[in-house]
Amino acid sequence: MFPVIKVDDSKCGVALDCRLCLLACPTRVLGLGTSVGPKKYQETDPSRFIVRGVRYQFCTVCGKCEEVCPHGAIEVSFDRGGVTA
Amino acid sequence: MCDWCEQYGGGYERWYLNPANYARRLYKVRREEAEASGAEANPQVAGGMGVVGREFMEAQARGDHETVDRMRREAEQRTWQVHFGQVVTKEDLDRIIDMIYPIGLMTCACRRSMRGLPDEDNFTCVGMGPGMYKWERWPDTYRGGMNFLTPEEAKHVFDVLNRRGLVHVIFTFGTPYLAGICNCDYPDCGAVRNALDMGVRVVWKGHHVAEVDSDLCNGCGLCVRRCQFGALSFSPSTLKAYIDPFKCYGCGLCRNPCKPDAIEMVERASLPTVANVW
Repeated sequence: MFPVIKVDDSKCGVALDCRLCLLACPTRVLGLGTSVGPKKYQETDPSRFIVRGVRYQFCTVCGKCEEVCPHGAIEVSFDRGGVTA
Repeated sequence: MCDWCEQYGGGYERWYLNPANYARRLYKVRREEAEASGAEANPQVAGGMGVVGREFMEAQARGDHETVDRMRREAEQRTWQVHFGQVVTKEDLDRIIDMIYPIGLMTCACRRSMRGLPDEDNFTCVGMGPGMYKWERWPDTYRGGMNFLTPEEAKHVFDVLNRRGLVHVIFTFGTPYLAGICNCDYPDCGAVRNALDMGVRVVWKGHHVAEVDSDLCNGCGLCVRRCQFGALSFSPSTLKAYIDPFKCYGCGLCRNPCKPDAIEMVERASLPTVANVW
């Protein structure tokens, strides 16, 4: 019913600095977060920042995030229920 | 009446004008959080800023109102206990600034999550009260550092943010402890998105409602782009601004560009059917 957005963290670079996919998404579907909670006296290392699909209901499967990713780390798929375009 | 004024007003005109809600005794020492067991287990950590997830959207899409209502209620109860906000006008904000100290300008977590905004471009969030003395303990929450402001400087900063079109929202950190003033817009504020996209009231409407005086309105339309809540539109039939009082969040931003001063903020409580629309 909604698209599935897969991000391969091992391929994704330093998301906090790159942020190309966040900027490319016309409807702000993606979110930037961290794979760890905040720690006392410790700043989260930029490598622990991750991108996830969050606001799926606004995803049009336009593919802009996939196109713009320099590492091919994002994959958006949509099950049309057997109907092909 | 506003639930929060009723519970935490303490005889003051509004709950956020009650000094007790800013007091040191309410400040809770923050504890270390357990490592998330995989980012998906904790959408907040994973950067969603969403208080409900895919399951909620799917229930909504298939018209399962029961599940939607239940999940919405649960999310609201959770967020109202811990961290939620209410829109405040610039006038009320000035009164708040005269009560609180210290005041710190910091980076916005929502815009970091939505846009990955670099710290230097992201100072739109204000923290206040006892927690600010301890900001250095939590460098990740306060990425980019902290700029402490005098009350006069704070009023100036809010003025600039207001002119940019950002809506002031006062936030609890362990209700009723008030310790933050966010400056929000759609679509980059997580709280506003939860309220508008999901109907989960992480942001409550404020104590005022904007009204247009059609005789004064000159039809310039400058106010329309100031509304972040879809409450203000331009009517092509009358060539005047139109405000839906049931959608209005009462921020007052639409007033600022209005040359003929045609928009007035009226007390929500003065309109019986809107009085409890939060």
